[in-house]
Amino acid sequence: MDKYYIKFILRNRLNFITYCFLIFFLLLILRFFYIQILQNNYYSTQALNNIIKIVPIEPARGLIFDRNNTIIADNKLSYSLEVIPEKIENLSVLINKLSNVVTIDNSDIIKYKRILSKNQFSHTIPIKSNLTNEELAEFSTHSYQFPNVELKETLKRSYPHGALGVHYLGYINRISKKDLIILEKEHKKKNYIGTDHIGKAGVEFQYENELHGVSGYKHIEVNSMGKTLRTIKNFPAKEGRNIHLTIDLTMQKIAEKEFKNKKGALVAMDPNNGEILAYVSMPNYDPSLFIDGINHKSWNKLNKSKDKPLLDRAINGLYPPGSTLKPFVAVAGLKNQLRMPPFKINDPGYFYINNSRRFNDWKIGGHGEVDIIKAISVSCDTFFYGLAIELGIPKLNKTLADFGFGIKTGVDLPNEKPGLLADAKWKKKKYKKKWYVGETAITGIGQGYTQVTPMQLALATSKIAFPNKSIIPHIKLNSQHLKQNTGLTPPINISDQTIEWVKKGMENVTEDGGTAAFIGKTTAYKIAAKTGTAQVFGLKKGEVYDEKKVPDHLKDHALFIAYAPAKNPKITVAVIVENGGHGGSTAGPIAKKIFDYYLTSGSR
Amino acid sequence: MNLNTIQNYIFHKLDRPLFGALILILIIGLINLISANHQDISNTISHIVNIIIGIIFLYVTCNIQTRTILVFAPWTYSIGIFLLIYVNLFGIESHGAQRWINLGIFNLQPSEILKISLPLMLAWFYQKCASKINYRVHFIAGLLIFLPFYLVTTQPDLGTSLLILFGGLTIIFLAGLPTKFIISSFIGLLISSPFIWNSLLNYQKERILSLIDPFSDPYGAGYHSIQSMIAVGHGGIFGRGWLNGEQTNLRFLPETTTDFVFSVFSEEFGFFGVLAIISIYIFMFYRCMWMVSKMQDTFSRLAAAGLTISLFVSLIVNIGMISGILPVVGVPLPFFSYGGSSMVVSLISIGIIMNLYSNKSLIAN
Repeated sequence: MDKYYIKFILRNRLNFITYCFLIFFLLLILRFFYIQILQNNYYSTQALNNIIKIVPIEPARGLIFDRNNTIIADNKLSYSLEVIPEKIENLSVLINKLSNVVTIDNSDIIKYKRILSKNQFSHTIPIKSNLTNEELAEFSTHSYQFPNVELKETLKRSYPHGALGVHYLGYINRISKKDLIILEKEHKKKNYIGTDHIGKAGVEFQYENELHGVSGYKHIEVNSMGKTLRTIKNFPAKEGRNIHLTIDLTMQKIAEKEFKNKKGALVAMDPNNGEILAYVSMPNYDPSLFIDGINHKSWNKLNKSKDKPLLDRAINGLYPPGSTLKPFVAVAGLKNQLRMPPFKINDPGYFYINNSRRFNDWKIGGHGEVDIIKAISVSCDTFFYGLAIELGIPKLNKTLADFGFGIKTGVDLPNEKPGLLADAKWKKKKYKKKWYVGETAITGIGQGYTQVTPMQLALATSKIAFPNKSIIPHIKLNSQHLKQNTGLTPPINISDQTIEWVKKGMENVTEDGGTAAFIGKTTAYKIAAKTGTAQVFGLKKGEVYDEKKVPDHLKDHALFIAYAPAKNPKITVAVIVENGGHGGSTAGPIAKKIFDYYLTSGSR
Repeated sequence: MNLNTIQNYIFHKLDRPLFGALILILIIGLINLISANHQDISNTISHIVNIIIGIIFLYVTCNIQTRTILVFAPWTYSIGIFLLIYVNLFGIESHGAQRWINLGIFNLQPSEILKISLPLMLAWFYQKCASKINYRVHFIAGLLIFLPFYLVTTQPDLGTSLLILFGGLTIIFLAGLPTKFIISSFIGLLISSPFIWNSLLNYQKERILSLIDPFSDPYGAGYHSIQSMIAVGHGGIFGRGWLNGEQTNLRFLPETTTDFVFSVFSEEFGFFGVLAIISIYIFMFYRCMWMVSKMQDTFSRLAAAGLTISLFVSLIVNIGMISGILPVVGVPLPFFSYGGSSMVVSLISIGIIMNLYSNKSLIAN
């Protein structure tokens, strides 16, 4: 053996290796000292972040009832399968695998992709909603195969009555980017962290704050799979408040049924306090379509339909009031000491302005001797041409505004339209043209530029029944909103004796000789009413309107306003049937059904 | 014969300080494994069985004729190489690598066998050529290393292959490879390192890159490293207590019974626990190297040194890996990790070292 090798090379190299190792060991100890002692706080926080997750708890949304405790918007327990999109490597593989357990069809996938593309908020996205009991059981037994799929138990909004009353009820939808910006601005975003849905229309939108409730949260301990092991802290959510509406759902059903497949709107109201009893806009649609985001096909169908089901005709539909405006014009006259009985005119069936322009009455040959009472009951145009011209637009509009025309009624529903009371100033601005006297004349019979909503008609009619009240139409029972907005339209300020002439005229409408005489014949109570017909298109000079010749969509709108019983009014109804022809014959019977239900059925 | 004589007869070849430290480590390792395998009884029992089998092997290899080891060295090497080729062709795939041969009752990991047979083979080879060690001898030794290194690399098991390479190279180093050559090849390696980098597989590159900044890819390659460091750091000075490591129990920590078994220990027993274990390991290492220095012949010295270095390199790599200063390469912690092949091989290595030490004068000259 080479002594030199052993003594110098081997010993040195063995020592070298030993020292190297000892240095490595020392470095390791220093490393542990650094991590475990110096960096202990940092890693402990990291460990806690691993384990503790804060999970928001969505509050149960408040329920919506009608005035008789019938449920309109409910929450139903629903099971869905949700996934965290970032954790899915291959969607189609997952869907294939899931398909062995639950039915996943194309619409589920489209829905998933739609929500994913619009998702701003949610941590998880449903890939399959509304599991059946069988699917639930099937998934539960196979859930170990799907570590990234979460079975979520949620309360899902349900609208048990489908399309009934959709326009006041509205709907909820998933929170969008736009909603989020608004929530952020109103500092409500924090409260919505666990929430996927928000009210988008109708009462669901209007009373969102009350219905939503207060978000809760819990601290949970999870393992590396994200599986919940236990709850450490729990701050329960405060559920949303239940809301009772003034709507009488039975009446609503009757009203919608009466419309059959006609378009139009109806507002029934208690004239004593402004509670809305029925609120119809036809055609309607099923609010359930919107709950998880409406699909393209349904949306296009709704949005592009020429019948405009999405339009809330009760507060957004603008109609010429036609002859239903006459009682209000009459009040304007009487308030200005014009046409006070026993003043009469002799109606030849036409009215001349400046002996040149001729305005026809609807009745060829005229109504003969007409006072203000008869003028209303037979809907005499000639009478009101003259009255309107003598009054002039400013005075006429002043009284019409007192009835609530041209301004919002203040109803507690979103996006109400104010309608229009036109005058010279408005016309100048809009058309750069001057106002003609003839336009004043036709304003007096509810044609021309005037536009009203059914809600406004119902309010104005209620103000004939109770001219000294200042009510606000509202849809939420015991509304706080009522107190805040009292006085949106002032009392009419007219003597009982004077208003009695107008009331008498309206009562006579449903009596022999009145424009809706047939309605009064079968009732046990007295109805005060006014019919109306609003032209959809102007007749050319010399052309005669013939209902049978005109295509459906150009037919006149039928209007009908009424309150009953005449001596002790309990209910006001305003009806518009689009392209319904004469007001008495199509709109009147609908109102009568409502009165019959409300005033004579056992429920009252 | 009194009791003392029997004890002496049974244990006369065992190095008592080393064996004592070894038993201590095995017991602590067992206790730790109960926590690491989430108190899975069958797992714990099979770990105990592995230890018992390993101890029997240790006792046997410690007591057989040293000459037998010398004679069998080329055979174990050949069998090891054969098994490596076999596993590359027919082995069981796991985690994207072929490492095991299914032997019915247990799965054998041939690369573990090479951890013993390569040092023995090299030592045997240098013993044969002891009179005329030159560059040709070193070159053949290099080929003997390269063959298993290449085979293990293609499994692919980068960690183990590097350990085999390193263990082999230190034997050449101890056998007297000239310093000039070492320095020049080191420079050569530096220059060629970009080419080596390109030949690495993607997952190997990712693992190495994630070491530089594990937080750059916290859910990919860096995930294991981060979770391990969190567990270790979470342990603090005194640890969370046995069975109370949250990172372990909630399964944030991966591979808790094998590669990351020491992370479990670090979380539950803290810095002082780590200090104790590393101290025992240092003692064992120092004892082994001391024993090497007392050996008289080339075969014993090189074989014992090679085995010691193989054992403790994997030990340092594993602990460096779980504390985030070395890349995650899949190397178990000797005497601590669950795994039959690794346990038995580690204990046989200790047995051979004790054998060579107790026979230090027998094959001298």
